[in-house]
Amino acid sequence: MGFQAFLDIAVVALRFLLPVYAVVIIYQCFASMRRHRRPEKPLVTLELKGTSQLIPVLFWENSIGRSKGSDICVEDPTVSRDHCVLLRRQEGWMVSDIGSKSGTFVNGKRTKDRTQVLIDDEITVGSTTFVLKRGDEFQDEIRPSWFFSKASNKGSLQQYKLMLLITFFHLFMTVEACFTNDVQDFTPFIVFVGLEALLWMFFFVSTVVLRRINFELEALASFLTGIGIILLVRQEMRSAYVQMISAAIGMILFCIIVKFIENPDRVNNWRMAIMIGAVGLLVINLVFGSVQHGAQNWIQIGPISVQPSEFVKIAYIFVGAAALDKLQTKRNFLEFIVFSAICVGALAIMGDFGTALIFFTTFLLIAFMRSGDFKTVLLALVSVAFAGFMILNIKPYIAQRFASWGHVWEYAQDATYQQARTLTYIASGGLCGVGVGNGYLKYIFASESDLVFGILSEEMGVIVSFAVAISLVALAFYARAITTRSRSTFYSISACCAAGLMIIQSSLNIFGATDLLPLTGVTLPFISAGGSSMISCWGLLAFIKAADERTYAAKRLKPHREK
Amino acid sequence: MKRIMTRSIFVLVVTLAFFAGVCLLAFRLLTQNEMWVQQPYNGHVASSSGLAQAGDITDRNGEILAHTDANEDRIYHSDEAVRKALLHVVGDNSLNISTAVQSTYRGDLTGYSFIFGLGMPNSLRTNNSLQLTVDAQACKAAYEALGNKKGACVVYNYKTGEVLVDVSTPTYDPQNPPEINEDNEDKYDGVYLDNVVSSSYTPGSIFKIITAAAAIDNVPDIYEQTFTCTGAYDIDGQKITCEDAHGTIDLETAFSHSCNVAFAQMAVQVGEEKMTETATKMGFNKEFEVSGITLSKSVYSLENALGDNQLAWSGIGQFEDLANPMHMAIMCGGIAKGGTPVTPYLLDSESSLFSKAKESEQMLSADTAKKLQDLMRKTADYYYNARGLTMGGLNFCAKTGTAEVGKDKEPTGWIVGYTEDENHPYAFAVAVEEGGYGISAAGPVAQAAISALVNK
Repeated sequence: MGFQAFLDIAVVALRFLLPVYAVVIIYQCFASMRRHRRPEKPLVTLELKGTSQLIPVLFWENSIGRSKGSDICVEDPTVSRDHCVLLRRQEGWMVSDIGSKSGTFVNGKRTKDRTQVLIDDEITVGSTTFVLKRGDEFQDEIRPSWFFSKASNKGSLQQYKLMLLITFFHLFMTVEACFTNDVQDFTPFIVFVGLEALLWMFFFVSTVVLRRINFELEALASFLTGIGIILLVRQEMRSAYVQMISAAIGMILFCIIVKFIENPDRVNNWRMAIMIGAVGLLVINLVFGSVQHGAQNWIQIGPISVQPSEFVKIAYIFVGAAALDKLQTKRNFLEFIVFSAICVGALAIMGDFGTALIFFTTFLLIAFMRSGDFKTVLLALVSVAFAGFMILNIKPYIAQRFASWGHVWEYAQDATYQQARTLTYIASGGLCGVGVGNGYLKYIFASESDLVFGILSEEMGVIVSFAVAISLVALAFYARAITTRSRSTFYSISACCAAGLMIIQSSLNIFGATDLLPLTGVTLPFISAGGSSMISCWGLLAFIKAADERTYAAKRLKPHREK
Repeated sequence: MKRIMTRSIFVLVVTLAFFAGVCLLAFRLLTQNEMWVQQPYNGHVASSSGLAQAGDITDRNGEILAHTDANEDRIYHSDEAVRKALLHVVGDNSLNISTAVQSTYRGDLTGYSFIFGLGMPNSLRTNNSLQLTVDAQACKAAYEALGNKKGACVVYNYKTGEVLVDVSTPTYDPQNPPEINEDNEDKYDGVYLDNVVSSSYTPGSIFKIITAAAAIDNVPDIYEQTFTCTGAYDIDGQKITCEDAHGTIDLETAFSHSCNVAFAQMAVQVGEEKMTETATKMGFNKEFEVSGITLSKSVYSLENALGDNQLAWSGIGQFEDLANPMHMAIMCGGIAKGGTPVTPYLLDSESSLFSKAKESEQMLSADTAKKLQDLMRKTADYYYNARGLTMGGLNFCAKTGTAEVGKDKEPTGWIVGYTEDENHPYAFAVAVEEGGYGISAAGPVAQAAISALVNK
């Protein structure tokens, strides 16, 4: 009796500890992201020739033109609204004309494509001439974004300590999973050991082999991935292994994408190939796809079934984003619209309503971020056409989901069976959950993917599940805060849209399961079971990673030390 | 770059919308978590050990109706008759009787709180006990008076709203629940329904209370009119029949003698529209809620009526009329209270929650209520008393009914009414399926229940 009581108290103490612990880990990840990177100083300056007026050049890509929104605004009637772009690449500074009327000149010579400019070279736009000067000639202070903490603030945790914290969190979860009410054995430890080996290997590769100085974004994703895998241990062991293998593939894809987009101009050359590849994937899906739960979005290859639309998401972000001087060209833009139409159309035909909705909203995000003046009208038209097309394609079962939406308790035995159970079990978990493996929601159909927010809430408590939701919000804030500090608009746009896509997907998942929106059957990033989804989430994360200027910063030979 | 930054605000908007949704979800969770948890399918409370930690359930006098012993077994009242009488109020280990307290309040009983959820180890859980407003011994008396008949008996205090007797048959012993199979299906047909709240029966003559109210409200000279009853009456070429030839009678005599011919004519005089209006005002076609349980609706609808003949039948509680026993008790409580009833409740904690008796919507004007009181009082005084029906020696007002339900079935016997006593203000309704005459089938059940309450 005495021992039992002691054990009970220990179990409860652990259960109360975990939520606090989860909040600490998520906080630490973001504290690290918020840390100030470099002092907010201009990279170079432009001296207005004939005067001593200095204009700071703050970004890696700067638009020069008459329009107020330009990074360097020139009040000269002979300058076009969007005249040219001054950008920094590996090779140095370059200037690129973007269809101006009067042309752009470097040292008196009219430029065709991108033309390199060196310090003290002259750039002439219209009747205005700038001289390129070094950045340290500009002395005034520039305010950084509120997101970043002050440089004087004390540094955050070292990366390996953060990883240790995460490992211990997963360990505690595993201990809970070992001693459930129904089964007590140590099989969850097999998964735990495999999982941690994977995460630490990834950490090793990232910091030692690739010599990246920051790991907090990967740490957060690893944390969430681990939670998802351990939750699966007592639901379906096989899925846990599948999930782990997918995470490994996802991490490899992450590294490949980060490397591939190191040079944003290279991506531009591959654009067409990626588009054709993605369309091909959708076509294969349409022809050979098998129907599962009302949507024809699976391809069966032997024992493995994959969801091609998940990978098309990555291609979509690739195609949507572009460097600043390529962004404004009509051809680039039209290609993107056509590609969007094909994607959404194909998904609508497949009946994958949830993913079509994600693509459509992501399309709006990308379109809004890159649209210039004359294109807005066209965009609106295309949007309306898309929306109409989707409504026409609503299948009966989707219409039924809309009909029962908001009436979760009235149809608790049929149409809203899953949502009613999700709500019941979220509330049953209380603040700290009933413990990993003790939930009942896991017995409900598709709970490991569509209703995973409910499982997370039931077994780990609403503090953990809401902290996870908030961490996704913070991820989007982070992606936006680094917009102007990225090395190209390609990174800013792709990072913001990848984060936006994840937010939209999370909304559909969390709110769909809890009757705030109709249930659409999409996954919760990193946590839902589903191999394709796991891989694509890591792929999307690569865009956010690439947008951080430190990712491609000069690599240090010694481990990074904080002040 | 700057422009991209500005435009990325759209991502921020999406993110903030997501955040707002998360907040809304949190708000709903905070305000509705108890309702979410208390679902019959909830595995944390519905499993076999779901009541292992449940608190005690006691009646109004502190008699323990159910408790969990040291072996974590659920033990019900020591008297088998009490167990059977209160099965539908207390419930059993299963969640089959969805309106029983052990189903609807299982979360409370097992100590659910939002902070701890339902996952606490048993040794650390705190549970709650519930005190009901029912009187175990009076329920037993009503159950025994019902005998083997199927039916329902409800008594509630029309001043405070406390439900004192709530008995439904058929029933079984929750301590030893029967295995229901093909052989005993008939015996246990409808056993999981609490007939008091979840059934509606053809009302028969008790509906004359409503027809009388409609006539008093809508026919100005109703007290001057006389009706001639020869045992049958022709409306639209079809006959309305009566038990006796009552001769020439007025409203009062027609009511106490329950003359079909007179009330059929009254219903036709009042007309379809006003009949429906009065019935609806008195709670027909409406949903009532008693301690979180939604009552089965009483129905008065003339949508399918083909003419005056069926209107006439509806006026004497036949046609498609249906009445729910709890609603009938509420209606009688409304008449006793001068037009506006007090909503009944089953859980003692509710009285402290809403310090005063909760009144529901007005059913009748005070004047009409008083006239109905007189009609029902005279009926009880001159007619039922003479047949030996007493309600524990209290003055009472009542109306019986004998509802025809089909050719090869005995009629449903009804009695509804209330006692007029300062210390024992009880509204009651009893329905007995295939019971025969209301006075002989339902009367004794009401009498047994109320006598047990009075002679405490």
